[in-house]
Amino acid sequence: MSDKRLQRPVRVLDSLPMLIVCIAVVSVLYAVCLLRIASNNAMRYMIQIFLYITMGQMWNLLSGFAGMTSLGQQLYIGLAGYSVAIATAKLHLTLGVGLVMSVAVSVVVALVLSLLLFRMEGMYFSIATWVVAEAFEKLFLSWKYVEQGSGLTIRVVPYPKIEEICAVSLTVCVMSIAVVYLLLRTRTGLGLTAMRDNLTAASAVGVNVFNHKLLVYVIAAAFTAVSAGIFFVNKGIVYPESGFGISWTVSMIFIVTIGGSGTVSGPITGAVIYVFLQELLAHYPGWSNIILGAITILVIFFLPKGIMGTLQEKLRFEIFSAKRFSFAKHK
Amino acid sequence: MSIILEFVNVNAGYGRIQILNDLSFAVDEGQVYGVIGPNGSGKTTMFNALLGLIKPSSGKILFDGIDITRTSANVRCKMGLGRTFQVPKPFENMSLYENVLVAAVHGGTHRERFAREIALSSLRLTGLYDKREIKAGELALLDRKRLEIARALGTEPKLLLLDEVAAGLTDAEVKDIMRLVADLKAAGHSIVWIEHIIETMVGSTDKLMCMAEGRCVISGNPREVMESAEVQRLYLGVDENE
Ligand SMILES: Nc1ncnc2c1ncn2[C@@H]1O[C@H](COP(=O)(O)OP(=O)(O)OP(=O)(O)O)[C@@H](O)[C@H]1O
Ligand SMILES: [Mg+2]
Repeated sequence: MSDKRLQRPVRVLDSLPMLIVCIAVVSVLYAVCLLRIASNNAMRYMIQIFLYITMGQMWNLLSGFAGMTSLGQQLYIGLAGYSVAIATAKLHLTLGVGLVMSVAVSVVVALVLSLLLFRMEGMYFSIATWVVAEAFEKLFLSWKYVEQGSGLTIRVVPYPKIEEICAVSLTVCVMSIAVVYLLLRTRTGLGLTAMRDNLTAASAVGVNVFNHKLLVYVIAAAFTAVSAGIFFVNKGIVYPESGFGISWTVSMIFIVTIGGSGTVSGPITGAVIYVFLQELLAHYPGWSNIILGAITILVIFFLPKGIMGTLQEKLRFEIFSAKRFSFAKHK
Repeated sequence: MSIILEFVNVNAGYGRIQILNDLSFAVDEGQVYGVIGPNGSGKTTMFNALLGLIKPSSGKILFDGIDITRTSANVRCKMGLGRTFQVPKPFENMSLYENVLVAAVHGGTHRERFAREIALSSLRLTGLYDKREIKAGELALLDRKRLEIARALGTEPKLLLLDEVAAGLTDAEVKDIMRLVADLKAAGHSIVWIEHIIETMVGSTDKLMCMAEGRCVISGNPREVMESAEVQRLYLGVDENE
């Protein structure tokens, strides 16, 4: 049959060549950091981009797919920073153990909090996540063991070199993209994609919305924590404000909105743009937030699906796609 | 004949507004059960309570002999309740095929490989097969209504809940829906069908209930219900929905 409508209206580019391109790009990035081809300065940007991509992927999973617009992911960022600092400075453990601890602590806290937070939806959920993060900030501000407001330094000898931090960030970033992509290819992913479009209808056709939300919330806590742990290793010190501040969420919203909510390629694009913009705007202190805000509003206004979302729709293609076809992929 | 669905003195509503008042009725297995009633009488709300989107403050809902009053929506769907929404709620960024596939995978609890065939046959039954790769968000209203039916069928329901699926269709299209309902009944589905179009309610149902103010006013033989004094009074001078 040569019915026009049977032709694929959307082209999915996730093929073997695409996989090879991805592997090539990742290998080049590894080479660039491990062989010290890039300057220290360039590597600092790379680290930021990798970590923001990871956090963006996770926030997108929460907000773009599961309908949970969290304003409190900085909770896991702060917890991770302090876990690494406590593990190294107080308990004299290795960095690796510190990172594992940051993930463990975050997953446990996420599971406990889900009992409370999942009773709420929409705006109430968003506010509650924020309030919890703020409460933790106050807690750490007054907690003597972590030196209150003067912050906690991460102490390890020898301190990891920047190229090592860069390579680990890249690994976490690649893992986060792979986990999100592979998750979306499973039946859970099919449910999540439905939830992205309509929560009520999803539950009416049998999607266990609660379980999907819980899974996403825990995965997001884990990956946000490990990326934050690396971030603070790079910084060397964590303060209550730098860990639990709302500005983390502002960055994630920017990255996901600009890039394209509900797509895997969106947060990648968004994070790259965000890091460069931040750098450009650093020359205009005081203006940077206003300009970032204005850009977000413009994008929401003119490209409501974000850069990648709009591009994919207009050019009728998808990458890192969760799309299912009614006919075999290979004709 | 066994009873597939029973409402026992159900009270339910939105927040503090009570809509369903001691609603009681029963649906026999294998039958088409019609529901009529003036706008705002609580027909859609009855479906919301039945699917678990709102929780009754008192009363019981029995499905296939099991008390499902406190069961969550997705479990009710898996147990065999498939519902269409009066105002269609398609997964707009997914293709029609994917819309129905979700239903077959999650509601029908099939592996994707098997769910495929179910999804495709639901799309064929509802006349959407040729459009299956189109995004649901690009559909016009009539096709959205068809998609609601296809998606509900994708969950392989024992009891299919249709909420005004024929409203706004041409006579020929209404006939198509009536034929589809007859086919589904013949295939062993039980059906609850809310509709304002008298022809469908008299022509396709085995039993008819009329609701008003969240109560069952009368139920029984469709023609007798239509001609009853209660229904005549409720609809007196009101035939704009005909
Ligand atoms: N989400 C909601 N929140 C509050 N009130 C609602 C909500 N949905 C419906 N209602 C109210 O509940 C009452 C019953 O509405 P319902 O949709 O069940 O009526 P219906 O019998 O389906 O009417 P129609 O024939 O117009 O579809 C109406 O007064 C309506 O305004
Ligand atoms: Mg209604």
